[in-house]
Amino acid sequence: MATLTRRRVFGLAAAGTAGLAVSTATTSSAQAVAGSGSDYVAHDQNLHLLRRATFGLTPAAVSSIQRSGRRAWLERQLDPASIDDSECTRLIRSRFPRVSWTIPMARDGIEPFSWDLMSDLSKATIARAVWSKRQLFEVMCEFWSNHLNVTNPSDAVWDNRHDYDRTVIRRHALGRFEDMLIASATHPSMLLYLNNAESTKDNPNENYGRELLELHSVSVDGGYDEQDMRNSTLLMTGFGINWTAGTFAYTAREHYRGRVSVMGFSDPNPDADGYQVGIRYLKYLANHPSTAKHLAHKLCLRFVSDEPDAALERRLARIYLDNGTAIKPVLRALFLSDQFTASLGQKTRRPFEDLTATLRVLGYGPDKQGADGIQALVWIADGLGQQPLAWSPPDGYPDAAPSWKSAGGTLSRWNTHLSLAAHWWPDSLTQPPLRSLLPRRLPKTHGDLVDVLAKRLVFRKLMPRHRAAVLAFLERSASDPLATGDAAVGWRLPYVVALILDSPYFWVR
Amino acid sequence: MTTTCGCPDYARSEISRRAFLGRLGAVGALAGLTGAGLSTQMAFAATPYTGDVLVVLSLRGGFDGLNTIVPTTDPRYRESRPTINVPQNALLPLDSMFGLHPAMAPLKPFWDAGTFGAVQAVGMSNPTRSHFEAMEEMERAAPGSSIRTGWLDRTLGLRDLGSAFQAVQMGSSMASAAFRGPSPELAMWSIDDFKLSGAWNVTERNRWTTALGSLHDRAPSTVGDPAGTALSALAAASQMQDAGYTPNATYPATDLGAALRDVARVIKADVGLQVAAVDYGDWDMHTDLGTVDSGWLHDKLDELASSMAAFATDLGAKLGDVTIVTLTEFGRSLVENGSGGVDHGHGQAVLLLGGGVRGGQVHGTWPTLEDGALEGGDLAGTTDYRQILAEILEKRCEGSQMSTVFPGLTSDRIGVVNARP
Repeated sequence: MATLTRRRVFGLAAAGTAGLAVSTATTSSAQAVAGSGSDYVAHDQNLHLLRRATFGLTPAAVSSIQRSGRRAWLERQLDPASIDDSECTRLIRSRFPRVSWTIPMARDGIEPFSWDLMSDLSKATIARAVWSKRQLFEVMCEFWSNHLNVTNPSDAVWDNRHDYDRTVIRRHALGRFEDMLIASATHPSMLLYLNNAESTKDNPNENYGRELLELHSVSVDGGYDEQDMRNSTLLMTGFGINWTAGTFAYTAREHYRGRVSVMGFSDPNPDADGYQVGIRYLKYLANHPSTAKHLAHKLCLRFVSDEPDAALERRLARIYLDNGTAIKPVLRALFLSDQFTASLGQKTRRPFEDLTATLRVLGYGPDKQGADGIQALVWIADGLGQQPLAWSPPDGYPDAAPSWKSAGGTLSRWNTHLSLAAHWWPDSLTQPPLRSLLPRRLPKTHGDLVDVLAKRLVFRKLMPRHRAAVLAFLERSASDPLATGDAAVGWRLPYVVALILDSPYFWVR
Repeated sequence: MTTTCGCPDYARSEISRRAFLGRLGAVGALAGLTGAGLSTQMAFAATPYTGDVLVVLSLRGGFDGLNTIVPTTDPRYRESRPTINVPQNALLPLDSMFGLHPAMAPLKPFWDAGTFGAVQAVGMSNPTRSHFEAMEEMERAAPGSSIRTGWLDRTLGLRDLGSAFQAVQMGSSMASAAFRGPSPELAMWSIDDFKLSGAWNVTERNRWTTALGSLHDRAPSTVGDPAGTALSALAAASQMQDAGYTPNATYPATDLGAALRDVARVIKADVGLQVAAVDYGDWDMHTDLGTVDSGWLHDKLDELASSMAAFATDLGAKLGDVTIVTLTEFGRSLVENGSGGVDHGHGQAVLLLGGGVRGGQVHGTWPTLEDGALEGGDLAGTTDYRQILAEILEKRCEGSQMSTVFPGLTSDRIGVVNARP
């Protein structure tokens, strides 16, 4: 009831639209009347699942989930090998063959400290997000890349970051977290990024030992103290690099010997070869209840709500531990939970998801040859503030909406929508004619046109006041007939498409 | 200069050097990213900010303070740089110890007027000679803690939220890591570029802003707040665009000149600017630094000094409400290398310009260039750069709670600015 009253007040205050740009911005009452995200999305659970579990809706994805049903769609996505993704695989193989190189191949194949391979990885990551049919898998790769962040590009990992992506993140993205954590702890990317490669018994560097606890496993309130953190560091000494080959090497002479205790883990650690102690420690961390809670929280934050439900987190944490840190059962339970069902419209698209969703809904394809257009997408994502894999601190891109409330970022999103709708830039990507967003037989009136466009772009009709705003933008009334020569389906079509993408209907996830 | 850096933490790749240095400053501190609590951003602040506009000019790549604020009477200076030192007779005398590189001449009148000064031998704890790590650490400015925000963000977070233009990164779409965190800032290439690309005239602009305003009316705050702020910033920017700008000085026709010109423009437009950040990169002079009359360093200093001088002249009396401070991630090596350049060093020189600056002097403690006084072979840092920033914030920018902005910083201050009247 309170909402109604406040809305009425706002309606009076902001009657007429002429001065609205300023009034929404200058009155704090705009905040007081904020609506709910669920008002802006179709109340359709198929679409809800697609918005959360993919990089953006396409008509094909919508008809696929409608045909098979949510459960079957989810099971297929949880078994990515069952999905024919040959087109995307071929694209990556032909345009970015180097991302499957081993580390020694990279060191032979490119100049030392060249960013070429890291640049390929950025491009391949965007291409997969937009064009892979294994969408949930790619979404999870993005999730884990941030959870176990190694900034790409960054100088220290010039020869191995692509291998980290392939052998740590992609290999285990839907596998067991224990395996992924061990893979990260034994990969030169992580060991260089967080300085464990230079951490020795005599000169311990605490960067990795701390983040392993704080970010990768039990989290900052997971129950450890500074003594635990120092022991964590000492325990991991020896996990290093073969500097000649650039590959992982256990360096026994740098390993600290003697009893180590971290939280409930303890080991006499008597041998120079502490590799097995380290592995036992990593398994202990991966299976720790605090890690389960931490991961459940982050998955809920990613897929359910900015304010996750504690009961759901507890349930997912239990499933994680009961299944030996396997990720699939947790995701299955999450997407089939009541809390997920009830979370319609509670998340928002971050800039990268906005970009991928725009490309997907407009039917963009890769460059016919080369990758100039895909490179441009990396720059666009960078300008929007979320180039994939590029977050600089070790904690990964933030997930919740408040971190992304930027005016400059908003303007960049709006301008990107128009640039893509109008096919201004990147012009080397392929895009079907914008008219193909419309049925062959044109809608009868301008009102119908707005409805058809909204259904196609945001998969629902707009609320009457928003429909009216789009019609006012077109300087037409709803009943004005629509003819082939009208601006709305001619030169102004990209503008009205962009305008609909600029609206909260598209921003809400 | 197109010479690429020979140091291992630089990359030779299809990514241009320029883009790389740009990225270094920006990695992570992202245009799209600000933070929580914007709901009252556009409301009038309970206590309006009335301190100086702080302009942070980041000289990215490692600025050579030794050849700029030159320790001309330190015997080790010329000995260490036999071919690239600035000769005594070319220097503009500053005091008994230091002389100014002649390419800095445009700023000499401000030195003489007492509004331009410098601090020599400035350092940071945990010195690193990696560009990336040093910038990250410098802009985080919280050594020994796990704080992940930047110092400008924490500074703004202690104030009431101001206008959409309270904090601006000018000349880049990416905000400095010093802004990383919840307080909002605007990053823009220029005032004239900050516009809706579909709005090519006033009619179209009104069409767009009206429609966008209506579409975000009663939107969830997660969407409505940034949209409202964006529309408000667009309105302010379009007023500035419509008014045009004729500066009272001639700026160099360079990116730096354009960025500082726009900062002056925003200051004069009186739209609530509190902090501006500008990047000026390409200082990583490992090879062919040049001579006193020409070459890489000469040209950079000339552009720097001309731009800063134009900015100060353009502001006129308003310079009294502005403090500019330069920062760089590290100074250069004392000893020149075999390529006529200087490698990554430690102690740096900080330049200060503004009405409140105690100018006309080189502040700080000169540690000398004797062997025992060096830090890893290079000029040591005797003043923590955070002491300078803290003093500016305290005396000029209504700053308090320095333990929040700069955790662990001692209360030592060296007197680089006068308190605001």
